[in-house]
Amino acid sequence: MFALTPQTRKKLRRFRQIKRGYYSFLILAGLSALLACGELLINSRALVVSYQGELYFPTYGDFHPGTDFGLDYDYETNYRDLQARFDEADEGNWVLLPLVPYNPYENNAAGGVFRPQPPSAASQHYLGTDTTSRDILARLFYGTRIALLFALGFTLSVYLIGIAIGCAMGYFGGVFDLVLQRVIEIWSNVPFLYMVIIIFSVIPSTVAVPTRISILLLVMVLFSWTGMTYYMRTETYKEKARDYVAAARIIGASNTRIIFRHIMPNVLSTLITFMPFTVVAAISAITALDFLGFGLPVPTPSLGELLKQGTANLRTAPWIVISAFGTLVALLTLVTFIGEAIRESFDPKTFSVYR
Amino acid sequence: MKKTLYCLFFSLCVAGCGESPKESTDTAASADGLPGVTAEVEAYYAANPDFFSFKTPADLPTGLVWENNNHLPEIGSPDAVKGGTQNAALQDFPRTLRTVGPDSNGGFRTFLLDDTGMTMAHLHPETRDLYPGLAESWAIDEAARTVYVKLDPAARFSDGEPVTADDYLFMFWFYRSPYIMAPWYNNFYSTTYTNITRYDDHTISITTRELKPDLDERVLLLRPIPQHFYTDMGDDFSERYQWEFEPTTGAYIIRPEDVRKGRSIALTRNKDWWAKDKKYWRYRFNPDRIQFTVIRDDAKTFEAFKRGDVDQFGLGLAEYWYEKLPDSDPDIQAGYIHKVMYYNQRPRPNFGLWINTAQPLLKDREIRLGINYATNWELVIEKFFRGDNTRMNTGQEGFGDFTHPTITARTFDISKAQAHFAAAGFTERGADGILVNDQGQRLAFTLATGYESLRDVLTILREEAAKAGLELRIEVLDSTVGWKKVQEKQHDIFFTAFGVFLELYPRFWEHYHSDNAYDKAFLEDGSVNPERKLKTQTNNLESFAILEMDQLIERYRRSSDRDEMIQLAHRMTELHHEHASFVPGFYQGFFRIGHWRWLRYPEGFSHKHAQGPGEAFVHWIDSDMKAETEAARRSGERFDPVIRVYDQWAE
Repeated sequence: MFALTPQTRKKLRRFRQIKRGYYSFLILAGLSALLACGELLINSRALVVSYQGELYFPTYGDFHPGTDFGLDYDYETNYRDLQARFDEADEGNWVLLPLVPYNPYENNAAGGVFRPQPPSAASQHYLGTDTTSRDILARLFYGTRIALLFALGFTLSVYLIGIAIGCAMGYFGGVFDLVLQRVIEIWSNVPFLYMVIIIFSVIPSTVAVPTRISILLLVMVLFSWTGMTYYMRTETYKEKARDYVAAARIIGASNTRIIFRHIMPNVLSTLITFMPFTVVAAISAITALDFLGFGLPVPTPSLGELLKQGTANLRTAPWIVISAFGTLVALLTLVTFIGEAIRESFDPKTFSVYR
Repeated sequence: MKKTLYCLFFSLCVAGCGESPKESTDTAASADGLPGVTAEVEAYYAANPDFFSFKTPADLPTGLVWENNNHLPEIGSPDAVKGGTQNAALQDFPRTLRTVGPDSNGGFRTFLLDDTGMTMAHLHPETRDLYPGLAESWAIDEAARTVYVKLDPAARFSDGEPVTADDYLFMFWFYRSPYIMAPWYNNFYSTTYTNITRYDDHTISITTRELKPDLDERVLLLRPIPQHFYTDMGDDFSERYQWEFEPTTGAYIIRPEDVRKGRSIALTRNKDWWAKDKKYWRYRFNPDRIQFTVIRDDAKTFEAFKRGDVDQFGLGLAEYWYEKLPDSDPDIQAGYIHKVMYYNQRPRPNFGLWINTAQPLLKDREIRLGINYATNWELVIEKFFRGDNTRMNTGQEGFGDFTHPTITARTFDISKAQAHFAAAGFTERGADGILVNDQGQRLAFTLATGYESLRDVLTILREEAAKAGLELRIEVLDSTVGWKKVQEKQHDIFFTAFGVFLELYPRFWEHYHSDNAYDKAFLEDGSVNPERKLKTQTNNLESFAILEMDQLIERYRRSSDRDEMIQLAHRMTELHHEHASFVPGFYQGFFRIGHWRWLRYPEGFSHKHAQGPGEAFVHWIDSDMKAETEAARRSGERFDPVIRVYDQWAE
């Protein structure tokens, strides 16, 4: 549908020329790739275990009870202990651990009590630990992954609803437009935070964590799609009056076809320009909700929860807030740079050069 | 944290203590010239002649032995100086100044009534004997289940009106009135007492329904309600008196100009307080003004404390005691801030996991036993609380002889847990290490709590339970939402604690009687009623229903013999332990604080039964020392550091 026209190719070229945005995009893409295979980098499960001549790859798939490797317990193997044990026994068995051998849930108290430990390369807690001795790097990493996935899902859903309704309003106009606009005005005045609190208080706890996250996503989408409709509505109004739409109608094109094949490509620049800011909004919103305690269910790793811990331990454990805040700033800055570059490259008025 | 918890305990307890039979009010008479509600009150007295009796001093039984325990040690120190302002922080502004009715169970009630108000007698914080408050003396007639009281004729409310017998008669009308919208009070004051008799303006007697070993406390801990203040009672009670400060018999009043809603509130010392020269009272309630500022965040309150804007801060949590205000802190080392830890002995809040035995899988005792063994409280206590807290062994800890001497809580043991889970059919581990039975059902339960500040405890338990193949899904709820959930009995496992007052013996009926678990739990022949329905809005969080327990509880409630009650309590604790529907958690056998050196406590002060340092108001503000300390902070002058541990009451 959206084949690369010369115009699009020009826009892409322009995007590549804006170095700040382009490199931000490359960094974020690289980061996303890292996050996608995060289990290989930050995980308490070993990458490879060689035990009695046989190779095991525990990262993905079923858990291996300790008994698989000659230990005396049948719960999930502690691979760090296993490595120490193998090294000691020196029987040719070996374990290859990921770079950061911790998962975001386990309490690994090096000092004997659960408390924040400063960053230390020796214990492989590169960003230190949080108040219950969980690895901050692991929690940040998986927290960021969830936040990005959440933002992606949020953006797609908001766009889908916003575009469909906004275009319909602009295209059909009249009473339909008038009524729906009033509905949107009312809807957008429902206080979002209270709704989240109310809805979460009635969801039964038997619901699994991923489902709870999806419900949170749904609630946020339900209260966020309205903003998009305003832009789509005006854009569609504008395009509808153009000659090519009249021409398409005379040929006998259906409404759907006119909206999606003719009008949509022409309002695309508006859409794409807004996209990064929607992503930023989603990341900020989920972080803020977590900070307030209404976001992702405990003990899901999250940036907001880390920020909260960090602000409560500002004096005694500054590394928590530094890590969480740094990550958030970096992430939002990257997305904003990309957004600015996109806006610039899609801007037909080339004299407003973005420097 | 401690303060929030205790507020919560209190509200939990009062909010949840049983049903609410509405008292009949169709005795209301028409107005006949008397002010406001007086006619209605008098008609009520007339309609309940068995309860409200009017006699003359000549009717007092002869041979009564009047006592007043004037031999107990003084409370506080003669060194205490009156004056100065104490600065304190509140986490939330009080929602009302009423002490009864909707929203009145907040933490601020402590300062409105619980710690500052006066009753006929009070429990001595060191000896747990009664010492006189509003009463001049009292006499006990056990056979008649009655306590006779002579009120102190000097006793006055803060508005100058004398405290009389009428204020006690009115108290019963008031607490039984539907206007106050407080079902627990309606029920308690209708069922616990059977008579109040007025002999003259300052002599009354009160009779209880049952003879209990603590008969004297049940009567003497009652407070008067100023009848002259509540003249306009009606359905609008809660709004009308929302921000009205009831005249108090205690030392502190709240002036309307000091109530800055949402921001601050202050207590002002009543310089004409009637009890200011009385033994037990004269060295207490020293600061002229106690200024509370609302600071919603604990971390910010701590910063305010470190600046010297707040005089005292509770260091109950290990992270405060060891890390945020360590012994090496410059302010501690320079002697500006003192750190003190006090051990105490009193009934302990029953922190633990309350397992709802009405849920399908949790009906199975084997699973409950497994959960007991799969809960690693030892790790929580050792590594999270740093060994400061103590494991609870039963749900009734700190009641002296009434606490079971030998039962110990089940300790974390993966193989025992698995053996019990296997006995319930959970033998195989799934792909993620969680046990499944042959129908493919996962061994997973929701572990919910209303304690936001203790969420870390639950995440630790969760990680440990997974080793035994048990999944605990954690749900951290807002305290009100969490409370609603357990009151609806929708929980699997709930982590909470109930407030426990300084009582002589533990309560069993609320938590373990089948009346509070099901409607008609058992049939006539004692077998389980197959159609029984869960009963909501009660404190039986375990849906605990065992016929033997019911019988024991009923004997326990009727018993007046201390030894028999102790035996019954032990047997009930054993039954409860065998049932394995409660995983005992931890208790804190102490409290600890940090305070600036100008906030002074009596030499060697450590009350055995206190639950906090400010409870008896024995501290005072030394204004000279405050000026000295502030000058020293500027000039860098140092004092001797003070880090004290009073462990004479350590258990």
